[in-house]
Amino acid sequence: MSAPLLCVHDLTVAVQDGAGPRVLLDRISLDLGAGDVLGLVGESGSGKSLLCRALIRLLPSPKLRITGGAVFLEGRDLVTADEREMLKVRGGEIGMIFQNPTSHLDPVMRVGDQIAEGIRYHQGLSQRAARAAAVEILAQVGFADPNRQYNGYPHEFSGGMRQRAMIGVALSSNPKILIADEPTTALDVTIQAQILRLLLDIRDRRGLTVILISHDLGVVAQTCDRIAVMRNGELVEQGDKRSLLAAPQHPYTKALIESHPSMPGEGVATAAIAQPAPALRPLLEIDDLHVRFPSGAGLFAAGPKTISAVKGVSLRIMPGETVGIVGESGSGKSTLARAILGLAPLSSGHISFDGADLGQNRAKALQKLRSEAAMVFQDPFNALNPRLTIGEMVAEVLRVHGKAVADIPARIGELLDLVGLEREFADRKPRSMSGGQCQRAGIARALAVEPRMIIADECVAALDVTIQAQIIDLFRALTARMSLTLLFIAHDLAIVRNLCERVVVMYRGEIVEEGRCADVFARPQHAYTASLIRAIPDIDPDKPLRADLLSPSVAETGSGRVSDQPSAAFNW
Amino acid sequence: MHRYRFVLYRPLQFLPVLLGISIITFVLVRLIPGDPARVLLGSRATPAAIANIRAQYGLDEPLWVQYFYFIGNLGQGEMGKSILYKIDVLRLIATRLEPTLALVLSSVAQSILIAVPLAALAARHRTRLPDHAVRIVSTLGIGFPPFWLALMLIILFSVRLGIFPVSGYGGSLTDKLYHLALPSLTVALSLSAVLTRSLRAAMVQALESDVATAARARGMPESIVFWRHVLPNSLVPTVNLLAVNIGWLIGGTVVVESVFALPGLGQLLVRAIFSRDYMVVQGVAMVFACATVLVNFLADIITVALDPRVKL
Amino acid sequence: MAVLGLFLVLAVFAPFIAPYDPIFQDAAARLHAPSPAHPLGTDNFGRDILSRVIWGARIDLQIAVIGVVFPFIIGTTLGTIAGFFGGIVDVIFMRVVDVVLAFPFLVLMLSIIAILGPGLGSFYIAMALVGWVSYARLVRAQILVLKNSDYAVAAISLGFSRSRVMFRHLLPNAAAGSLVFVMSDAVLVLLNGAAISYLGLGVQPPLAEWGVMVADGQSFISTAWWITLFPGLSIVLLAFGFSLLGDALADLMGVHE
Repeated sequence: MSAPLLCVHDLTVAVQDGAGPRVLLDRISLDLGAGDVLGLVGESGSGKSLLCRALIRLLPSPKLRITGGAVFLEGRDLVTADEREMLKVRGGEIGMIFQNPTSHLDPVMRVGDQIAEGIRYHQGLSQRAARAAAVEILAQVGFADPNRQYNGYPHEFSGGMRQRAMIGVALSSNPKILIADEPTTALDVTIQAQILRLLLDIRDRRGLTVILISHDLGVVAQTCDRIAVMRNGELVEQGDKRSLLAAPQHPYTKALIESHPSMPGEGVATAAIAQPAPALRPLLEIDDLHVRFPSGAGLFAAGPKTISAVKGVSLRIMPGETVGIVGESGSGKSTLARAILGLAPLSSGHISFDGADLGQNRAKALQKLRSEAAMVFQDPFNALNPRLTIGEMVAEVLRVHGKAVADIPARIGELLDLVGLEREFADRKPRSMSGGQCQRAGIARALAVEPRMIIADECVAALDVTIQAQIIDLFRALTARMSLTLLFIAHDLAIVRNLCERVVVMYRGEIVEEGRCADVFARPQHAYTASLIRAIPDIDPDKPLRADLLSPSVAETGSGRVSDQPSAAFNW
Repeated sequence: MHRYRFVLYRPLQFLPVLLGISIITFVLVRLIPGDPARVLLGSRATPAAIANIRAQYGLDEPLWVQYFYFIGNLGQGEMGKSILYKIDVLRLIATRLEPTLALVLSSVAQSILIAVPLAALAARHRTRLPDHAVRIVSTLGIGFPPFWLALMLIILFSVRLGIFPVSGYGGSLTDKLYHLALPSLTVALSLSAVLTRSLRAAMVQALESDVATAARARGMPESIVFWRHVLPNSLVPTVNLLAVNIGWLIGGTVVVESVFALPGLGQLLVRAIFSRDYMVVQGVAMVFACATVLVNFLADIITVALDPRVKL
Repeated sequence: MAVLGLFLVLAVFAPFIAPYDPIFQDAAARLHAPSPAHPLGTDNFGRDILSRVIWGARIDLQIAVIGVVFPFIIGTTLGTIAGFFGGIVDVIFMRVVDVVLAFPFLVLMLSIIAILGPGLGSFYIAMALVGWVSYARLVRAQILVLKNSDYAVAAISLGFSRSRVMFRHLLPNAAAGSLVFVMSDAVLVLLNGAAISYLGLGVQPPLAEWGVMVADGQSFISTAWWITLFPGLSIVLLAFGFSLLGDALADLMGVHE
């Protein structure tokens, strides 16, 4: 490695508010050589995004200040550089890509113009030349028809294309260093794989140096040469990817690696759950279910338009089973969950819960469902009424379900114990709790009805990995202890693989594959399942990520089995 | 261009609203206790006139039949006669339209000229002195009653300085503008207080938005960030704000016209109320309501033109 | 808060604070400029302006409070029902709202008062008939959002009754949001009430109300400016108080979001 391109030395950022200075970044030091790809890993609040904002001196609030240290870019100290020089550095030398392209692209400006803007400003090209250069960049980042798409507005593109446009905007001013702040977190796994592939391609083509921020150790393991781990504003460990993953020094790094979902959990499903006794009949039976929603006000349109969210799904779930439903956004998995609980209209087909048919005798089935099934939601904050304390919230459920008033306080205590919350949480409101604590409270509320079945809808997607792992452990313990039936909906295959014994893969409202977890993951029958599995960033760098070139075409046609012959299973 | 197709069919959606407006104005007048014919014609009407109006409005029929008479008459541009001015209500309204329209347009123009720079100034110096000053002034300004503000301006400009006339409306164009100066300034000041506050909030949001952060991160200087990203993104809320405040604006003109004795619709309305000239009250209320609907329609068109995301 | 508190004290203790009877006409003291005996001067009937301003606080505060409370209650209830049940109820409801909103507020108020006859009672009735619309629309919009929030779905899926979800879970959260609006609405109501009184259609003389007082002073603005200045300033100050309280509430809520 030659002399480092970027050298961060003891960089310290503090916030100055009423309570006096608080240090948010504590003496961060790291070096970045030309052509390096550095992965910056940490959970929310670790300061990884703040560090990158501090590098280009674009701190998110005027209350924050760089209080010490230096950032040397090719020998110049950016901390002391004047604002005019920083304008050249930002974009011109260090480009940034943000997590949420939807909010970071200007909604009222053409995509091409946003790229051309940087070209004109930083390279001083004429309008015509800038346009030509922007079209060139659009083609580079994967726009099929750049001349036409130049004139598109951000909202006309899909999430993946918007992120490509965002990358294009960052490339427009021809930077040497590219900082990508969680560039794929908002995307589906297959799209994520494509975007990561694109980033690496561009790195190779342009000789870029890249800092990739991610909460997902898998993403970093697949793309970077070096890894730096951050926690609470400190850089706890950094080093070469392989040695760091193989022999982590810091306990926190170890914990991060252990809680990564691609690591096999202790005692995968089969062992944890005693084989369910051959049940007489399934607890939940879904037969050719369709859910359609009316779309738009079709006052002058030809005929009523509908969107089919679920198209002909059939599924049986036995008592005590743990079933994972996976699929990307728009696959209909959440709609299915809501339909099961009678929260979405069923257009045709049957759902019956323990013999009660939701279509034929809706009132009776609903009554049964609502006292024997409960749901856990994705966003732990939004799922709890902000005005009620946890105790009030659980008490209300108990009261409605006819628990004697005298027994309620004791029961609240038991429920909190069960989900691993201190009993004092009964008096707290959601806003004074962390995401993980809120999610535990949400589970306690679900358990309050003493359900036979719990439907968990993406219930760990919004949580940090270490918290994710804790919640998954909690579910594992609960299902084992209370003979619960669990329907676990997730976009993250790795989590499902760890928790569930059976998996159902949904795509565009249909079930494309279903089977025992071990079988499906080892030998996927459907091309979509296969591409989904290949796109999981594994924490093992030697199991490379495969940005499936097949998947866009799969996305277009919507079907395409690998093969109907059993022998195909062994090809992979 | 399909995004503008709504311009063609949106007016159809106004039908229920216009229907509602006609029902309300109809019901308003019919709710007055006493013989409707007498109510409509005033106490000194001749028996012949009363018989005439009974026939025209079918006043002996049930209420809903009367409503159809009312709509039928409206369709023929017939809104009844003013008791006070002895002419057709519609014709009367037409003669009073100009001062009100001129007042509204010049007030809107002035208030934009006041509000946009102030809001921009405040937003760009957020939490510093200019911002605090603008915030306090605009918050205070919202509480200024237009009628009182008008009198204070009269004291300052007419009584003390003797620059502008106290009341009335002129004959020639320059004379008219001269007479409109104080009334429109009054309305503009009231309106700009509301606008500045909301616009400042919109601009602060736009300046702190991810769009602005992204622009700064690629090295755009603050001036480009503001003119090319923040301002275009704040325009849509501004247009909508103006549309929402059209009612507030018209209310202001009604009061201000009365203070300055401007012969516009607002003054007409207030005088008609005092002289129990109900046909005129009905007509003016209806015209104001239709104007509001029209303004909202225009705002929709402008919004679609400014924001490619909006589909109507 | 301090501003509002001051006016509240003035209103409640008006009989004890005011130096003179607000409607007592002192023929010997007409159109006096502010002086130690009459700190804010006297009007053309020789009435003490300070006393009238203090007594005016009673009426104007009452206008702002009553003019907001009833529309708030009516609007919040109707908005919740429309937003929660949706369907045909909601469609009809929204059409009504559209129609009422099509009329400029003051114009509709004036038209209704024209029929009911001038007076404070008419003003309150007209307020209740017209003012609920903005609350209803606001609350409905919030209910529509909250209805799809996870905690509402959770409540339904846990077998809570519709009315429990509506009134215990949705309404308090939606109403909290419109509380900020209440304060800015109070300013508008105050201004409109004063404007209507100024036009001679609201509070009737000789009662001391700030709008009426401004109208009284209008004929004398070239000679006795103090008759118009002080009641107007009181309106501005009271409105400012409401605005500040609204801002404070908004900050408070903003922190919690």
